[in-house]
Amino acid sequence: MTETAMPVAAPPPASDLPGLAAGEEAVIALRGVSKWYGEVVAVSDLNFGIGSGVTALLGPNGAGKSTILNLISGLIAASSGVIDVLDRPVRGNTRIYRDIGLAGEQEHLYGSLTGREFVRLNAILQKTPDAERATERTIAVVDMGSAADRPLGGYSKGMRQRIKVAAALVHDPRILLLDEPLNGTDPVQRASLVALIRRLGDEGKTVVVSSHVLSEVERFERNVLVIVNGKLAAAGDFYAIRERMDERDHMVRIRCNHPRQFAAALVAEPVTTSIRFGGDGRLTAETNDVRRFSLLVPVIAQREGIRLFEVQPVDESLASVFSYLVGK
Amino acid sequence: MPVTTLTLRQFIGGRTARLAFVLSLIPALFAAIYAVRPWDVTAGEFLIDLFRELIVPTLLPIVVLLPATAAFGDELEDGTLPYLLMKPVSRLRLVLGKYTAVLLVTVPALIVGLAVTTVIASRAPGAEDLGRYLLAMSGAAAAAAVLLGAVFLLVSLVIPRALLAGMIYIFAWESLLGRFLPGVRAISSRDYTLRVFDGLLGDDGALALNASLTMVAIAVGCLIVAVLRLRRIQVD
Repeated sequence: MTETAMPVAAPPPASDLPGLAAGEEAVIALRGVSKWYGEVVAVSDLNFGIGSGVTALLGPNGAGKSTILNLISGLIAASSGVIDVLDRPVRGNTRIYRDIGLAGEQEHLYGSLTGREFVRLNAILQKTPDAERATERTIAVVDMGSAADRPLGGYSKGMRQRIKVAAALVHDPRILLLDEPLNGTDPVQRASLVALIRRLGDEGKTVVVSSHVLSEVERFERNVLVIVNGKLAAAGDFYAIRERMDERDHMVRIRCNHPRQFAAALVAEPVTTSIRFGGDGRLTAETNDVRRFSLLVPVIAQREGIRLFEVQPVDESLASVFSYLVGK
Repeated sequence: MPVTTLTLRQFIGGRTARLAFVLSLIPALFAAIYAVRPWDVTAGEFLIDLFRELIVPTLLPIVVLLPATAAFGDELEDGTLPYLLMKPVSRLRLVLGKYTAVLLVTVPALIVGLAVTTVIASRAPGAEDLGRYLLAMSGAAAAAAVLLGAVFLLVSLVIPRALLAGMIYIFAWESLLGRFLPGVRAISSRDYTLRVFDGLLGDDGALALNASLTMVAIAVGCLIVAVLRLRRIQVD
């Protein structure tokens, strides 16, 4: 819906929005979107697009991730800017909810309903053909069959997360919005949900997953939108984002049979900026030129007669990218 | 209608329905006292006084207030409202679904309370046939539920602490000011409810019909505003 409360600068066309690959169609497009509550700015001048597949919405608590999901869902109105979902306005457009499923962050569910009744209620309200079959299928997908007849009031946090995902999925929407879906889940449930999310993305659905747990986001997909202080800090392929951060030193963890000898040889090279020793014969080197450093390591090892057991870039994780962007 | 069923389940699963029924039975205690030791009024006069002075200005609005403010208010408070809002269901259907649930709790609660009260009062020595009193009270109470249910439903979509605001309104406006100030009385639900009651009891059909139609018209207006409000509501 075009919700323009204030004039905004001309937003980029949908095809040029950050977050989209060249020529990729935007399923969700935010152009010049801001949201403020009185004096408090929740999100500011967001321009990005989301295509098919899984996109991770990443940021620390309070960064504005839930606000963005609520804006995309039409649950709140933008203070300025344009939000389109499937090329249509979402706010005030109830028909579009046939194509959207949301598993929000709210903890509370209808405590007097059982899990099965809750999913069925969503199926009926979504006017899903054969609501019964859709309910059973979706409960099976999230592996909640054994607990489906228990009241929601007695569910653990992980069970609530899974049943919320089932309720969001029951009408087979094209777009799935999941707000911190792995919160409170145990490792088995987590792995199951991650596999489900990836499968839905592979099937061509647009899945937006918010999280502040960086190691989890890395498991979803490489396509990330990093939100910091209500602004888009980075968008696109996670590793590409990391590649662009050349001004920051990269860390490489090395395990070898003579770490002190190897460290002495490495530190003599201009590309090595520091060396730290860990246990088990490990050392962590920082370099200002990771490409040249990666070429030097085997050469030096051969020259010094040192056996290498492991050479691993340790700051390629999303945590590193995130810390960098937050501190930027 | 799934919204009505869901809301009824919430009322019954929580305390709302129980409280509504318990409160509606409070007049029965007074009827029991009257039945055991009747004072110098007839059973019919006792019921009229009870209805005019306790039920209409205080108990009846509270019985309606509890479910009417909980219908949307509880979902706004606990964050479950998006499960209804994010569906291809018109806001009119959501409002009517909730409103129907409110009436399905309050009207039976009020009528059961009035019936029990009347039956107990009829046990008093020398009590006349109280059937017409029960009929008049029930009709007036149902009309009041229609009006107040819509008013409080709307209030819950506009004011964050609707239950508190409703309580203040009931005790300050309906119970206190409405009793003494003629201007306030004219624009209180109490006045319209008693007109319906007087009309039904005195066989003045026109009086009861006019008051009822006014109450229904106000209720429809409130429901329309509630639909508009729900269209614009922002849920974080």
